[in-house]
Amino acid sequence: MSTARPRRSPSGYGRLTPLWFLAPAVLALLVIGIYPTLFAAVTSLRRYNLTRSRDGFPFVGLDNYQQVLSDPTFWETLGRTAKFFLCVMPFEIALGLGIALLLHQPGLGGLRALARVSLVVPLATTYAVVGLLGRLIFNRDFGIANSFIGLFGLPSFDWLGNSAGAFAAICVMDVWQWTPFCALIFLSGLSMVPVEIEEAARLETASKIALLRNVQLPYLLPGLTAMLILRSADVLKLFDVVFTMTRGGPGAATELISVYIQRVGFRVFDLGTASAQALLLLIITIILARVYIRFFYREIE
Amino acid sequence: MRPLLRNMGAAIALLGSALWAASPAAAQAQAWDIAKAAAPYKGTQLNVIFLDRPGYRAIIKLLPEFEKQTGIKVNYEIVPYENTREKEVLNFNSKGDLSIALVDLVWIGEFAENGWIVPINKLSGDPAITDPNLNLKGFFPLLLDAFGSWGGTTYGLPFDNYSGLLFYNKCMLKDAGFDKPPATWDELANTYAPKLTDPSKKQYGYALQSLRGETQSADSFMRMLWPAGGSLLDKSFRSNLGGKDSQAGLQFRQNLMKYMPPGVVSWDHAEAVNALAQNQVAMITEWSAFYSTLTDPKTSKLGDCLAVAPEPAGTAGRLPALGGFSLAVASQASEKEQKAAWIFIQWATSEAIAKPYVQAGGVSGRMAVYDDPAIKTAYQFVDPMVASWQKGVPEFRPRFPAWPAVSEIVAEFGSKMMLGEVTTEQGAKEIGARMEAILQKEGYYDGKKKLLQ
Amino acid sequence: MPRIGRLLHGAGLLAVFAVTIFPFYWMVSSSFKTQTDLLASPPVWLFTPTLANYADVFADQKVVGAIVNSLVVAVFSTGLAVVLGTPAAFALARYEFRGKSDLWFWFISNRFISPIVLALPIYLVAQNIGLLDTHLVLILVYITFILPIVVWICTDQFRSIPRDLEEAARLEGASQFDIFWRIYLPLGVPGIAVSAIFGFIFSWNELLYALVLTRRAVQTAPVVATSFMSGYELPWGKIMATGTVIVLPVTIFALLVSRHMVRGLTMGATK
Repeated sequence: MSTARPRRSPSGYGRLTPLWFLAPAVLALLVIGIYPTLFAAVTSLRRYNLTRSRDGFPFVGLDNYQQVLSDPTFWETLGRTAKFFLCVMPFEIALGLGIALLLHQPGLGGLRALARVSLVVPLATTYAVVGLLGRLIFNRDFGIANSFIGLFGLPSFDWLGNSAGAFAAICVMDVWQWTPFCALIFLSGLSMVPVEIEEAARLETASKIALLRNVQLPYLLPGLTAMLILRSADVLKLFDVVFTMTRGGPGAATELISVYIQRVGFRVFDLGTASAQALLLLIITIILARVYIRFFYREIE
Repeated sequence: MRPLLRNMGAAIALLGSALWAASPAAAQAQAWDIAKAAAPYKGTQLNVIFLDRPGYRAIIKLLPEFEKQTGIKVNYEIVPYENTREKEVLNFNSKGDLSIALVDLVWIGEFAENGWIVPINKLSGDPAITDPNLNLKGFFPLLLDAFGSWGGTTYGLPFDNYSGLLFYNKCMLKDAGFDKPPATWDELANTYAPKLTDPSKKQYGYALQSLRGETQSADSFMRMLWPAGGSLLDKSFRSNLGGKDSQAGLQFRQNLMKYMPPGVVSWDHAEAVNALAQNQVAMITEWSAFYSTLTDPKTSKLGDCLAVAPEPAGTAGRLPALGGFSLAVASQASEKEQKAAWIFIQWATSEAIAKPYVQAGGVSGRMAVYDDPAIKTAYQFVDPMVASWQKGVPEFRPRFPAWPAVSEIVAEFGSKMMLGEVTTEQGAKEIGARMEAILQKEGYYDGKKKLLQ
Repeated sequence: MPRIGRLLHGAGLLAVFAVTIFPFYWMVSSSFKTQTDLLASPPVWLFTPTLANYADVFADQKVVGAIVNSLVVAVFSTGLAVVLGTPAAFALARYEFRGKSDLWFWFISNRFISPIVLALPIYLVAQNIGLLDTHLVLILVYITFILPIVVWICTDQFRSIPRDLEEAARLEGASQFDIFWRIYLPLGVPGIAVSAIFGFIFSWNELLYALVLTRRAVQTAPVVATSFMSGYELPWGKIMATGTVIVLPVTIFALLVSRHMVRGLTMGATK
């Protein structure tokens, strides 16, 4: 290092080169995003109720956080959100993987293309419309869901009118909407397996499971990590579907954390508390993402 | 003491306006030349939020006439009810562009205490911009008191008001041997409903929309509380839900559920109205505004079977649900806009347009229009609605600023009660504790704040 | 055996197709039903279609305007996010520098925060600088959550491009920008296309910011869709027709680029 440093490193770029490429995106995010985030952080330290703006917005230290942490509804809704995540994620991963394998299997080109293309439809459907559609599909009298379970000889079920049913209904809609996303990511992963390796492995073993575990799995893990990160963040923010479908009811059966935050933030207008809640969620999401990366992400050997 | 004070305040306000109306100046000016009054404000733009409901569609239909006469432009933005308060609160907090506030009955305390709306006496004193036929006494007193006034001061004029009514299927009642609607809740539950309910045929006597949200807290929970003599709060603003009468009301609702279709906890207005319209239930209690939906052959199979009556009476008398809005001048508007806004509000709620307004599908808060035989015969809901507005409790839902927060709690535990997840006693306790914590923070218990609801 | 396998494979693919498409089909078919058919119990499969709902929807000028607004916002926010995001992705994929993985994570984490609490400060700022109810404010806000996706997908996509191509170009004296522009962008098209689809879908469907930040002028499609259920009635036919009208453009766009889907969503499954 004592010799004069060449203007360009052996890899062919200067020390500042990355900066030029990164600067626009970083600046854009900073300029647009940093103020609102800081504002939320500061707000979380104040008593900040928009419907009491006459009383001013005094700083109250960590009171809001303390209040949130001791608020049973916060924990209940957070727990319910976790339950929701744990209910939908295994289905989305398992079905997504199954669909990806079906699509990856050679043969039946036309049908495969049709199925692959259809996967885009749920993803593209407006979330608020998904909720409305759910309300139509799961209606007790004129909903199609009951006709389907009727085919299996089951009696009509009042999906949205009871706690378990409503929870199941929002899970079904979520699985419908997001399984294709998982399927596409897995399919991408499968297609990255070098053809020679896959062919060789197919010759060696007839077992699909062995093939999956030994050859394909490494290519699926990065996608799985991405899926877990994105879905965790999105489930913690999930609002439109639930709100248009059940408003969090009946009772509190489908009140997920974001529905609760919306209620505190935009019904009660207690933005101090809502900000504290949202920042706590941000921290949870970051921790989760780090954990996923740590445990599931493997560079491919 | 408190209601007395409030009533006195309202009485004084009314008296004042009555005296003013009786003054010679007012007597002379017969027809108001609105064009002349509005001349200085020609070209003023007014911004207001409207809803997608019949009352607004009706005024929008009449609006071109107003704009032509006055040269004042009214820009309305149609917003879902769910987002209305959010939009208004944000707008008022950021000194936005709204010049008129659309005030739901339960927001009046919040809007008034924050100083977002202007008391009408600041404007009504100026004869240049005040309709000589303003005649505040011509509004149903209950409406002006409940919708327009807070703490004895009048802020807004009633607009798009509803009363809870009993809509029922005459034919189904007749088949079951009843030739008139139930007069009391007791009758409804114990005489009528059992005969009208047959779950095997998917026939139910009664349905109560109880979706979590304002529907649960206002339409379902409060509707059963008041007629039984119960109330949310006692005189010192402590929870009264544990009281004998309140519990009786809530228990009554639980018992009534066996005559309701399963799943009413997920029903909003649309589902309840539709169940009646499709002959699945015999009776519902709904807002007067649904009359047009129920008479429209496109949405309703009822035809001549539809009939309307006042809500049944409880042990405490007839205390039907009360809902709707008022229009008030926003404080953030410039003086010129405020005056123009005042002219518009008077026009929209005036006796002069009451009849065309009703004919366009709106519901006026003016008494006189309902004496008109043409209106009476054309609209079946008029008589029961007028009967319902004779007497009532303005604080059917407390109108203080804490209501939105309290309403969320009532909605949550109210629907949990219906689902049987908590008993009415447990639920009352939960609501009570949480509600009192909110009211404590508001300063109602340490004398910092007057006990107004 | 292979025949049975083939049969099962076909059946599986058909099932996937049927299940994914069914709710969409149900929405579209409901949009052609009269209120009576819609409320029939049990639901009807065969009915005489009506165009009344669509007539209703298009009589309402709002819907057409909203589609245009959504289109403007989605195209520009996605376009800008791609313009800003691809160079950043290139840098993250190709250069070594301190704090790289933290920077990558920071990009991603911009998607994590709940919009509910950001809406207020954004509203206040927008109101102050007169951006409320403009396309621009929505475009800017949407960039913040599309950009992370673009950076994520494109970084992985760029990493999958063999280095030899770059070496060859460098020996011929290409600048870093040339390498990015001539090699990485063209070869990274699948990733860029996929991130563009997702960006487009996200901004097309976004509701919460759109509700708070728009008034009359730039109401977007989801805002209008939800406004139909706000009255006291639920006109299911009209709601489903609006839903169809809203979902169709984004679906078509997604279908157009869907052939890139598979190559583009590698999410780091490459080295």
